[in-house]
Amino acid sequence: MKRNWLLPIFVGLITAGAVWHGTLLATPYALMSVALDKIATGRINTFVFTQLSTADNQPIVRPSPDLSYSTCVFDLANGPVLLDIEPVPDHYWSISIFDARTDVAAVRSDRDTGGKSARLALIREGMAIPKGYEPVELRYDKGLALIRILTTDAADYPAIDAIRRKSTCKQL
Amino acid sequence: MKPWLRYAICILLGAVGGCGYAISQVRGDYTAKQISNGPWNANTIQGTEKATALIRAKVALHGIMALPAKEAMYYIAKTDSDGAPLNGKCTYTVRGGPLDARWWSVTLYYGEGWLVKNEANRWSVPGNKPVRDSNGNWSFTVSPKITSGVWLPTGGIDSFDLTLRLYHAKGNLLTDPAKATLPTIKKESCT
Repeated sequence: MKRNWLLPIFVGLITAGAVWHGTLLATPYALMSVALDKIATGRINTFVFTQLSTADNQPIVRPSPDLSYSTCVFDLANGPVLLDIEPVPDHYWSISIFDARTDVAAVRSDRDTGGKSARLALIREGMAIPKGYEPVELRYDKGLALIRILTTDAADYPAIDAIRRKSTCKQL
Repeated sequence: MKPWLRYAICILLGAVGGCGYAISQVRGDYTAKQISNGPWNANTIQGTEKATALIRAKVALHGIMALPAKEAMYYIAKTDSDGAPLNGKCTYTVRGGPLDARWWSVTLYYGEGWLVKNEANRWSVPGNKPVRDSNGNWSFTVSPKITSGVWLPTGGIDSFDLTLRLYHAKGNLLTDPAKATLPTIKKESCT
């Protein structure tokens, strides 16, 4: 009787291990997909300039209320996406690229650019790189480009908002 | 019982158990298995290829779009410096010295990482707000009640965590979180 269950229990344990690992592997893709849908609300390959985070405005988990966030949900299925990031003088700013697995494909801040603008071309393998752009090769078509700008004084927000709206995210 | 039924039962139980365990791990304590330093916990591999499947899944749930360590370090405290869970009905003093980073802030979150509704509409203390003494030491209060000086409201919730963000951190803050000099969190009183 007991011997009849040994092999099925072994197979059950193997299944448990495989499903456990598969669930962990699938979770980032699933949560990123939900986050991209929530952030994009139908707008792809264009920046969305969100208000400062408050208890009533939390587009993503663990937002910083001291940062102005601008987001571009991108899709490389139809070609490269170009990012032109307008620098904000005397403020920390960065542009970060997250892939569909939530990994960071690239980060460029004002420290990296010496205060100048950042110009990135988001591409898949084999896509041509436009002149004047730094290539960022991704393993997936979809992902998120996120601008953070330090905004510790609310009085600075209108000026920062005007500058950041010059940044663009567009399909080539 | 037929053999195929034994296999079916075991495979089903294995699948449910494996999936359930993975979900409980991902939803569990975000700071588990991170590098500890007093009440603070951090990891240096989030957002990178080096992150394990579990760390990647936990970050996706509790801190999606987090930056890699060289850009920003995130230290999270769920307890005070004596190891007691942070309670929104208690008053705490957060005290520290100079932090070797371009900029820092402390933000209060509840649950998976959400800002707490409060009357003051204040959710974080930027590093430039607390007054420094001649040695660069500073402090601020975390409390459900309005207090003098720099005050971070808890909203009176049952439990919360504090996230210390450091952008362009240097020294041990970036390379050896276990040895970094970090702020203390002292419980003063509870209502």
